[in-house]
Amino acid sequence: MAKIYESNTEEYKINEMLKGVIDPEIGINIVDLGLVYKIDYIENKSIGIEMTLSTPACPLGDVIISNVEHILKRSYQDYSISVNLVWEPEWNPEMVSPEGKEALNFF
Amino acid sequence: MQGISTQRAPHPSVVLPHFAFAAISFLVLSIVLIFSTNELAGHFFQPRILALTHIATLGWITMIIFGALYQLIPVVLEVPLYSEKLAKICFWLLVTGTILLVHAFWFAKFDVWLLIPAHILLIVFIMFSINILLTAKKTIKWNIESSLIMASVFWILVTVFVGFLISMNFHRVFFKNNHLVWLKIHANVGIIGWLFFLIMGVGSKLIPMFLLSHKLNRKKLQFAFYAVNAGLLFFFIDNAYLYLNLDIVSFILIASGLAGFISYIYESYKKRARKNLDIGLKHTAVSILMLLVPIVLALVMSLNPEMEMKYILRLNIVYVFSILLGFITSLILGQTFKTLPFIVWLSKYQSLVGKVKTPLPKDLYSEKLLNIQFWSYNISIALLFVGLIGGIHYLAVAGSYVLSFVAILYNINIFKILMHKVKKEEIKN
Repeated sequence: MAKIYESNTEEYKINEMLKGVIDPEIGINIVDLGLVYKIDYIENKSIGIEMTLSTPACPLGDVIISNVEHILKRSYQDYSISVNLVWEPEWNPEMVSPEGKEALNFF
Repeated sequence: MQGISTQRAPHPSVVLPHFAFAAISFLVLSIVLIFSTNELAGHFFQPRILALTHIATLGWITMIIFGALYQLIPVVLEVPLYSEKLAKICFWLLVTGTILLVHAFWFAKFDVWLLIPAHILLIVFIMFSINILLTAKKTIKWNIESSLIMASVFWILVTVFVGFLISMNFHRVFFKNNHLVWLKIHANVGIIGWLFFLIMGVGSKLIPMFLLSHKLNRKKLQFAFYAVNAGLLFFFIDNAYLYLNLDIVSFILIASGLAGFISYIYESYKKRARKNLDIGLKHTAVSILMLLVPIVLALVMSLNPEMEMKYILRLNIVYVFSILLGFITSLILGQTFKTLPFIVWLSKYQSLVGKVKTPLPKDLYSEKLLNIQFWSYNISIALLFVGLIGGIHYLAVAGSYVLSFVAILYNINIFKILMHKVKKEEIKN
């Protein structure tokens, strides 16, 4: 399950920005899909995103990652941005947010 | 980057021509079918039926399998294709071989006109197998999907070699037994060994991926691998050498293996996070259901080897067509729209993603036409099956007309995707 950030933090803003990254096959953003595990924000220095994919074989993996990098670079030009892809814990449908589940007609 | 398959994908020029040629072949197949429904009521060993079958198996099905497999190998085996050049040579040789073979069958030229494409196609499949084997050799993560694909490569070589021997036998008779036995082996090993194994290998990876289903019982796939291989091996040995007439044993092994695969896909369907099925997945669901038709027909034929010839011939035709035009065509008609738009979209928009607003892969084709295609296809296949099995000629003709309409819709969408251009304003933004 994706972390919930306080609304006045940079992590919250970044999390909201990442909702602009849509999985082109599923049509749902990566935050609601539960793919973003961790956001590390260091003021005036760097942003680190720890995320996964719904499967290691996902054919659109690097499109999603490059989309994450471009979206963050637009608002944080002077920051070093890194996306770390992890496979532990393995993604499962329970990680999808209530909004994502609604979009998937999960209920 | 670890675990990413887009970077390992081949250049689109390797893959896309296969989709274009396959789409045209499907249209040709459906039009030829309109003029061949009379022949379908007779014996399967007729020039026009042979031509029709090979437009379907080579021009339509194998062509799209080659194209899709070059794209999907990096997904399944997680390594890039060994040689893109070899794949391009195979494409042109397959086009040439298919056209010449269909020409030879249609005009009943069982002489040098048959021998030339037989040689070309043997070379094509040997080259294709080498390419896939050398690709598989590089993989670190060997899994059951890889084994299923390798089994299909083995059985296509057997199929093509038997086909090659049949064509040589026309030139100089050397088969000691009836050549129709070898035709039976050629057809069944090709359909079950080549097509079913490949569909099981690729489908077991892709379908759960599209449905977002996890934690599936992969032992079902292992069972399918061993049972179908054992069944095919027994079928080959019995029909070619033992003459025990024990097709029922092969049937039990193969059908139980296929049941394992169907059960795996059903489990994936039940555990899916993505509850809404798009048209691509609906076509796939229809396809899996239609697999039951040839299984039932094969059971009926295996249990009644002494059936009246008139019924044996009719069941044989319906058996082959329920697989080629039913199960496999439905699968292709759906899965094309789960793969081709992504291949084209990636080649056009990969560098623009995140920088400008890009369309989604599904925006590259008309969903409305795809919807009409889905329902028209279901009507066409119902008409064809009832027409063929019941010997009702006008229904079979009506079914083939509707199938041509389906092929036209499919072609419009395929060429719409293939000719998609990035709009200037998208680049400027």
